Amino acid sequence: MVGVAGIHMLIAAQGGPDLPTVDDFLPPEILFQGTPFAINRIILVRIVATVAMLLILGVSAHRAKLIPGRWQGVLEMGVSFVRDNIVYEVMGALRGRRYVPMIATIFFTILVFNLCGIVPGANIAATASVVMPLVFALWTMVQYWIAAVREKGLGRFIRDEVFTPGVPWPVYILLAPIQILELLVIRPLSLTIRLFANMISGHLMVATCLAFAQYWMIESADKLMGIPVGATWFVGGLLMTCFEAFVAFLQAYVFAILSTVYINLSYPEQ
Amino acid sequence: MTVAAEDGIDLFIPHVYDMVWSAIILVIVALFFYKYFLPKFNAIFDERSSKIEGGIENAKKAQKQADEAKRKYEDQLSTARVEASKIRDDARAEASHIIADARSRADAEASQISQSAQRSIESQHQQALVKLRGEVGTLAAALAGRILGAKLQDGAVQSQMIDGLLDEISDNKQ
Repeated sequence: MVGVAGIHMLIAAQGGPDLPTVDDFLPPEILFQGTPFAINRIILVRIVATVAMLLILGVSAHRAKLIPGRWQGVLEMGVSFVRDNIVYEVMGALRGRRYVPMIATIFFTILVFNLCGIVPGANIAATASVVMPLVFALWTMVQYWIAAVREKGLGRFIRDEVFTPGVPWPVYILLAPIQILELLVIRPLSLTIRLFANMISGHLMVATCLAFAQYWMIESADKLMGIPVGATWFVGGLLMTCFEAFVAFLQAYVFAILSTVYINLSYPEQ
Repeated sequence: MTVAAEDGIDLFIPHVYDMVWSAIILVIVALFFYKYFLPKFNAIFDERSSKIEGGIENAKKAQKQADEAKRKYEDQLSTARVEASKIRDDARAEASHIIADARSRADAEASQISQSAQRSIESQHQQALVKLRGEVGTLAAALAGRILGAKLQDGAVQSQMIDGLLDEISDNKQ
């Protein structure tokens, strides 16, 4: 990212394309500045996306009928995808039933927030600030600790996880700290950073392609060379946009399935 | 562009307002999914599967009823067929009875008729013979008397002659 910013500085100095920077993810506060309720561009996108999602899903659920229409069919496909292909697949129907709403919340919300990255006008994923993925990750962590305490008891859970049975004791010197770190830090942070970094890189790639397309096709003086080069960049931007849609889904899926797996790990082996 | 922003690490430093809004949004969407969206869809899924199960159950019941009805009708049909063939046989037997009866009755009647006819012919024949005998006798006597005159006044000769004549007639006739 520093490298991209460096190039930007270089080209900007020559009046080059308006390349995206890290600053895109640190927008200024535009409302309630300085208060705990300050709103910047990303948070505004997040609020609008939330309202839109709740409205669309709420109205759809309100109108849901026994015999589904096309849109309801799509929604039901999503719901049964989360239920059957993520939760029940990982932890089974009996154990998984109580986690379906949680994983559905995570999956649908992250999917919608990620898709904001390619929605014209928003152009930035609502998950593209570190806190939103972190909040989801912390929720997952709280859930797997609660599940552990309920199913195994805290002592047994820590013993099983930190002093993994079947390992010769000297290895514990190395293994125990790693396992503790894994439970408390690595799991939530890996969830957070995976999603966050994907959203950042996705935005940077799409925006870079489009900035170069704009620069070569419109701003460049040399039209003979500028049009084909710019067109190539534009095609690149188009492909990256499609790829971003795929990544939006993929990251929502990965987050949801890893949350399920982590919670399932808190249950005793059968 | 601030110098601090050049440092990518800023991206990972959470702001208080970001935490506040993220938490608020998380609570809202979680409440929505927990309390409304999923219960609603689960209810629909359950209702649908129960409807489908009910439908299958009903179809099975209807199939069973149809099978039963079919078996009943087939039974009835075969009974009816047997009955029909029995009735036909009976009718045929009766018909042959009737025909035989009628034939024997007709035969009897015919023989009776022919017998009575025979009898009446015979009696008429007899009557005719007797009558003829008397008339022929009288006629012959008259004729012979006329021809032979007094010679045949004697009664004995007369009756002998007549008998002889009649015998002759009978012989000729036979």
